[in-house]
Amino acid sequence: MAVAKLEQLAKSVVQGPTMATGAVPVKDWMDVSAIFKPGNYAYQAKQEKVEYLNSQKGLHFPNAREWSPEDDDWKLPENWKEIILKGLKERLDKFRSLKIFMDCCVRCGACADKCHFFLGTGDPKNMPVLRAELLRSIYRNDFTLGGKLLGKMAGAREMTVGVLKEWFMYSYQCTECRRCSVFCPYGIDTAEVTMMLRELLHLVGVGINWILEPVSNSNRTGNHMGLQPHTFKDNVDFLADDIENLTGIKTNHSFNRKGAEVLFITPSADVFAEPGLYTAMGYLMLFEHIGLDYTWSTYASEGGNFGLFTNNETMKKLNGKMYAEAKRLGVKYIIGGECGHMWRVVHQYMDTMNGPADFLEVPKSPMTGTTFHNAASTKMVHISEFTADLIKHGKLNLDKSRNAHVKATFHDSCNPARAMGLLDEPRYILDHVVDGWVEMPENTIREQTFCCGSGTGLNTDEIMELRMRSGLPRANAVKHVIDKHAVNMLSCVCAIDRATLTSLMNYWNPGCNVCGVSELVGNALIMEGENRQELTEGLRTLV
Amino acid sequence: MKLDEAFRNYREKIVDQWVNYTLSTYKSSTFFKKEKDKFANPVGGNIREALDCLFGLLVKNADPQEFVAPLEQIILIRAIQEFPASVAVAPIHAVKHITREILAKDKERCHLVQDLYDFEFSVDLAVLAAFDLYMQCRERLYQVRIKEIKTGAYLLTDSKCPSNLLKINIQESIHTNSHSS
Repeated sequence: MAVAKLEQLAKSVVQGPTMATGAVPVKDWMDVSAIFKPGNYAYQAKQEKVEYLNSQKGLHFPNAREWSPEDDDWKLPENWKEIILKGLKERLDKFRSLKIFMDCCVRCGACADKCHFFLGTGDPKNMPVLRAELLRSIYRNDFTLGGKLLGKMAGAREMTVGVLKEWFMYSYQCTECRRCSVFCPYGIDTAEVTMMLRELLHLVGVGINWILEPVSNSNRTGNHMGLQPHTFKDNVDFLADDIENLTGIKTNHSFNRKGAEVLFITPSADVFAEPGLYTAMGYLMLFEHIGLDYTWSTYASEGGNFGLFTNNETMKKLNGKMYAEAKRLGVKYIIGGECGHMWRVVHQYMDTMNGPADFLEVPKSPMTGTTFHNAASTKMVHISEFTADLIKHGKLNLDKSRNAHVKATFHDSCNPARAMGLLDEPRYILDHVVDGWVEMPENTIREQTFCCGSGTGLNTDEIMELRMRSGLPRANAVKHVIDKHAVNMLSCVCAIDRATLTSLMNYWNPGCNVCGVSELVGNALIMEGENRQELTEGLRTLV
Repeated sequence: MKLDEAFRNYREKIVDQWVNYTLSTYKSSTFFKKEKDKFANPVGGNIREALDCLFGLLVKNADPQEFVAPLEQIILIRAIQEFPASVAVAPIHAVKHITREILAKDKERCHLVQDLYDFEFSVDLAVLAAFDLYMQCRERLYQVRIKEIKTGAYLLTDSKCPSNLLKINIQESIHTNSHSS
């Protein structure tokens, strides 16, 4: 009979393994355990990387060992529970925000449907409120009277290995993008709850390689890829050669030059990986165009700070390197390239970690005389702020028709948008370098922008399906402007975006390319004394 | 009463049930079913839009080539979610049963059930097209991985296809259940 058939079909569908955990959805969330299978977790950190980091001054990465999330036994220290609870207590005492976030949530659910991981997976533990509840339930049990007395009735539960595994699963299904916090009436920053979960996990040696290897590389050579100074210099020189071939302009850039006015720091991905390379070419051309007295550094050769994805101390150390280098070179201030989380660290944490940077001067554009008071304490100005100011004062000679091959839209990268309020500067630049760029739907841009789905060190290929799921809300909005306006270029101001949105587009919207805003600036610049070839694809043209 | 008129009258009801059925495959589906804004709710919004479009094509026995666009809208999403292939595609099939059930319940129209052959054949063709698309999506996904490898910003891995592993899990559980019963 027909109805019976439908029921049978439903049975095979509904009772099949569901999202992420592979569990059947008939239990209370506390009773659904995290099950690790190939494809649903990022690989654990290699033993030698953890050992190296733990040996470094000021860093604490204990319990280096061979282990796998798929094993029942994670080889945790014998007193792991004591370590976790002590770690939580220390953090509750140290960070007032954490204590408030633990106490003040009324579970109104405003955040529940705002997370791109929830929207792409349908897994309730990816609702920010429930993700935070994974930690809050332990907090209640051990640190509140209600929880101690009423236990599960008050939403409390005991810390177990199962809970720890759940923490690992879901704190790495959050990109700390902070979209949920925009909608929270109490201003809870769920990203900071994820940060605390990850910090606590590192106390017992639970971390992922895609984060700890770049951190250890950054600590050792100054950048994520572990490029040594001569390699870094060669890469930038190659880009300069390409510019010369394309435009006939020889750029006058320098490295580690003491006494330069400005130190320029950008994510290392911009100097070694497509499509970031073209963005870096844009920087080189812009600085040449205005004759800026600046230098690159082969030591502070990374703007990205994967320390943010591990713990407070590591973030501080990697951020400190940029300022130590600025001091050593004796520059006046720093210009930062198109990076995402570098700016979150600089704007939200730098000042209390390593700042204020009193040995530097408040950034003042030598071309326009504009003082960037917003960077009065950190002494670091964003390339988009700097460029927009140049355009505003008519200091750039631009030709939009050189971007005729581009029909652009703009993705607000999470950190610059929500952590530093950089919303209008990139748009102002686009208005002046491309014709008729278009916005994506209102609830997917500016403060409400959707994450690329692979931030916070989740841009590793073993979790590609997960990345495509969490990137669906972004890709879906891009598809809309492709269908409606024939958009062929997704511009952004973040190096991780440039890498991950490329993969995201290759799956969801093949044919749509990704670029940095500075690449479009580079395309449009009319350089003095240029001998420009016919560049039908701008700086990407093969000649 | 003719079949095409019945399809017209019941279109909304059938599509609604079809959408609900499809979205019930998600663990926490209330929001997916409720929110109508496609940008706030990409899974629910796309599935609703695509199934409605597909239903219009199925009832007029359209050229199967026309099924591809709405099917792709659905399968692109389900191919990267944690479903085995059969489960990813199964909801396409469900419209057969939903339609039969709805018509059978209507005393004036229950005789039309015997005229559903052409419609159901169209559904079969759509299911087959969905499998092709599912494979294309999986292949595209692996091409994306390979492209990332080629860009160099990544470490080589040897992980297996999770969708396939899920299928193995299901087979094991079916195997175990049939032994225990």
